[in-house]
Amino acid sequence: MANDIKISIKHLYKIFGPTPDVALEYVKRGMNKADLLEQQNHVLGLRDINVDIRDGEITVIMGLSGSGKSTLIRHLNRLIEPTAGEIRLDGTDVLSLNEEQLRQLRREQMSMVFQKFALLPHKTVLENAGMALNIRGYTIADFESEAVKWLARVGLEGNENQYPHQLSGGMQQRVGIARALVSNSPIMLMDEAFSALDPLIRSDMQDLLLELQAELQKTIVFITHDLDEALKLSDHLVILKDGEVVQQGDPQEILLNPNDPYIIDFISDINRARVLRVRSIMKKHVDNDGDYAGDISEKDNLETVLSRSGGDTDMVFRVVRNGEMVGSLSMKDLTRALVPTDASTARTNRTD
Amino acid sequence: MATYDSLFSTLGLKDWCSEGKSDGPMSMADLLAKTQSKSNSTEPESLWDLPFPSMDTLNESCAAFPQSRELTKGLEQGFLAIKDNLSLVLDPVTQPLSWFLDGALYGMLNTPWWIVIPVMLAVVFLVTKSWKLVLLVASSICLLAFIDYYEYAMQTLAIIFVCAFLCVLLGVPIGIAMSRSNTFQRMTIPVLDMLQTLPPFVYLIPLIFLFSVTESKLYGIAIILYAIVPVVRLTNLGIRLVDKDVIEAADAFGMTPRQKLFKVQIPLALPNIMAGVNQTIMMSLAMVVIASLVSAPGLGVLVLRGIRNLELGVGLVAGLGIVILAVILDRVTKASLARINATHKQ
Repeated sequence: MANDIKISIKHLYKIFGPTPDVALEYVKRGMNKADLLEQQNHVLGLRDINVDIRDGEITVIMGLSGSGKSTLIRHLNRLIEPTAGEIRLDGTDVLSLNEEQLRQLRREQMSMVFQKFALLPHKTVLENAGMALNIRGYTIADFESEAVKWLARVGLEGNENQYPHQLSGGMQQRVGIARALVSNSPIMLMDEAFSALDPLIRSDMQDLLLELQAELQKTIVFITHDLDEALKLSDHLVILKDGEVVQQGDPQEILLNPNDPYIIDFISDINRARVLRVRSIMKKHVDNDGDYAGDISEKDNLETVLSRSGGDTDMVFRVVRNGEMVGSLSMKDLTRALVPTDASTARTNRTD
Repeated sequence: MATYDSLFSTLGLKDWCSEGKSDGPMSMADLLAKTQSKSNSTEPESLWDLPFPSMDTLNESCAAFPQSRELTKGLEQGFLAIKDNLSLVLDPVTQPLSWFLDGALYGMLNTPWWIVIPVMLAVVFLVTKSWKLVLLVASSICLLAFIDYYEYAMQTLAIIFVCAFLCVLLGVPIGIAMSRSNTFQRMTIPVLDMLQTLPPFVYLIPLIFLFSVTESKLYGIAIILYAIVPVVRLTNLGIRLVDKDVIEAADAFGMTPRQKLFKVQIPLALPNIMAGVNQTIMMSLAMVVIASLVSAPGLGVLVLRGIRNLELGVGLVAGLGIVILAVILDRVTKASLARINATHKQ
């Protein structure tokens, strides 16, 4: 992946409290979150965050509540001001922008989707969808066609003249997504956008987002506390804990090589067969001699392969990309990959 | 000899006390005490009878010490001293209020009833969209007109409309300013508390000194001071209660503070602001009756006549007329409030 870096976050710190600059010195000297709260009465929001967000990718920031993920996303459009650090968007320093430039950035570069939808209750679905354009001074007549188009694209044809309270939660969030799309900004910030929805709707919305992303290739920063969601959506996964990045990288890589007990705990409960893909565990070679039971795509998940094998663990499959062989996968390797990492097992034994 | 003589002599103030000795006018209480008996004015026998060292008691021991009536008198003189300068400023500033009130009263009374009543009913229908309420208002006003109270009722209504309108015009911006600045809120709340708790009769007194009783702005100011509080409070509250998430969304999409105020905060606070307007209208109705003491025309004058002349019937019917006005004003504003609420469901 050689995509350009769209947003780069360097050495970002955020401390909440009356004198964050003083507290920052303690944090830089290594004081942890609990001590900072107890001794200095400051809350550590973020500590030394370094993340590169690439153009056209979905970067998922995952962590439990209190890990600072919502704080982090609000730094990107400066809804929250950092205590120290640097944020660059296409090379420009976001922190040096004045009020007017910042407003311009929020209007044209970034749109945001919220956990609680945050629609205007007294405006129709159409007016809500066109909110970003309305703010820039366009009238309904100007943005109507654009808004109707995107509302239809997210599955809200015919709801244009209803009010938000007449729609279900899932439909309201579709309006929220349409609102972000109508603004036509290259970056979309999604703050736990699907967390308030029930599981089936959530899965629908994830599919919708992936579909839209395949078509539009926006730069999406997605916040979630749900690992399944993170693994399903992310091109790049950042895991936060207590305001620090614990691990970041390719989600498959993190799944196979977690480097922190916190992450091991996290991944021990998920359905590995559905999340892991063939490319992550196959043996890479191109010698086409062997007894292959069939061809599988490198993008298939293990569940698909399992069902094709019919439970026979002696099979070996040929892995292909665009019709050409890139490697092989034996069912033995596959079965082994399904076992949560040894580290995780050891940890479970210890706690028992 | 009085109780606190020793206090002044220990402090070495005896000379100062005797200096101030004068034969000023005697208060009624002094005179009575003097004529009743001489024994009372001597020192008390036991600690039980020790009087509180109040201004008057201390004055008995030391003639130079001011009596409490000098406090009230000083206040009065102070007020009278600044009164002329104050009314020099306040008079022109408040003059439009007189024009509004006189204009409204003139307009209401000199337009024929067969225009005023249908126009009012049309307004009621426009804001409530309910035929039931139109019918209620129509029958109430016709009833008042039938018993020859039409003119009084219209005077009362005209005053309420002008005052409530001005309350909203002044109160909503004050409320918005309060919601934006915590300092301003801290400064304003004691004033609002005072306006709300001060008995209306109390601020009628200085107003009478400041403005002429023949001018309509006198009662206009009294009504506005009394009725403006709820609309200010509820505007402030309404804007502060606007959903933080929506405000954040407004910021995230790059709204200017002005856009945020007019596109988000005021529309979302509207149910609360309208509740404040309803309260303001009801309070101006309450005050317009009291303001009849300072020449406000309308049903209040009849109530006052009932009290003064013990005309029981007039007083009761006028009171009933006020109740009827209260009911229709309340119903109409509540119905329009309910219509706004219906579009604001979250």
